[in-house]
Amino acid sequence: MATSTLPIPREVKHFDEISMRQSLLFTESLKDLKNLRSQLYSAAEYFELSYTNDDQKQIVVETLKDYAIKALVNTVDHLGSVSYKVNDILDEKVDEVSGTELRVSCIEQRLRTCQEYIDHEGITQQSLVINTPKYHKRYILPAGETMRGANRTKSKYLGCSLDDEDDWHQFKNAVRATIRETQTPTSTVSKGLSPSPSPRATQRPGVFSFTATMPKKELEKRSISPHRFPLLRSGSLSSRPMTPNSSRPTTPNSSRPTTPNPSSNARRRYPSEPRKSASMRLHAEKENAKEVDQFPSKSKRLLKALLSRRKSKKDDMLYTYLDEY
Amino acid sequence: MARAGGITNAVNVGIAVQADWENREFISHISLNVRRLFEFLVQFEATTKSKLASLNEKLDTLERRLELLEVQVGTASANPSLFTS
Repeated sequence: MATSTLPIPREVKHFDEISMRQSLLFTESLKDLKNLRSQLYSAAEYFELSYTNDDQKQIVVETLKDYAIKALVNTVDHLGSVSYKVNDILDEKVDEVSGTELRVSCIEQRLRTCQEYIDHEGITQQSLVINTPKYHKRYILPAGETMRGANRTKSKYLGCSLDDEDDWHQFKNAVRATIRETQTPTSTVSKGLSPSPSPRATQRPGVFSFTATMPKKELEKRSISPHRFPLLRSGSLSSRPMTPNSSRPTTPNSSRPTTPNPSSNARRRYPSEPRKSASMRLHAEKENAKEVDQFPSKSKRLLKALLSRRKSKKDDMLYTYLDEY
Repeated sequence: MARAGGITNAVNVGIAVQADWENREFISHISLNVRRLFEFLVQFEATTKSKLASLNEKLDTLERRLELLEVQVGTASANPSLFTS
């Protein structure tokens, strides 16, 4: 049996050289295992011939026994070394695969982290895009409502969009300018009124809010009476052109629907915030209380005059009230 | 003389039988070790096959995961706007 064993150098610096030598030894041991079968067959034939031909058969038998023992031991050694190397190589490959799995898992975790970060940033951007209440506040603040409650709206929507003082002052000035433009005709008309004594002169803006919540019967009466009035008064207007037409029909009509109705309209549109708007008006309407209180008293007197005119058909009394109005 | 010849023949037969039994014992030992060697080879084959199968499965899984990672990285690198924000 020819067993080729290469001398392993004691000091091998490089790992590649060691692995190359180990792989070379492994291939050589595999080749020895392959050649072992043919060697055993050839040895068996040789001992058979020598046993039949040679006279010293006992020596041949003893030699055969020794050869069989050595061949078996050599085969076990070869198989042991080969199996050990195969196991070593397999374990090494399994370790490499496990290390590669760990690296791949690390890369996957990094990618997942990046994906989560990208998703989080996208959600943050979208949420920032959604939370823009600027248009909401400017939509809620009409000119008529902010007339008396502009200061309240500031405190109410302070944290929405007009956070800066400059922006808030600009917005408040713009609202005041629009309010002045819309309020100039009514104020000029109210200046021309004569101070007639009203039975509700001591009433405060709370009374005004009460008129806003008047029962529907009175509102229907008030809405019905002007329809009757122009038909009856069309002739009298032609007879009396000196009285200003703009002041008579506009002021009662403007005072009636505008002053009580916005609160009622506001209550119809925004049922969730009627109290706040009413309280806002209570503080803001103190300045204009006298101007506002004169309208329902005079309109009531005008209504009484119209009713008395219908009964007695005396136009003089009506015209005196109209002139006074 | 005849008794002496008979005794020597009997001794020779006994020696031959003992040698035969020794040879049989030797052959039985050799065959037993060869069987053990065969069993080891069979067991080693089974163990090595199972290890290779598990290793092949791990390599397949790893290959698929690597392909998935390659596609994801390729998609991310093809869309550089994700990294510019």
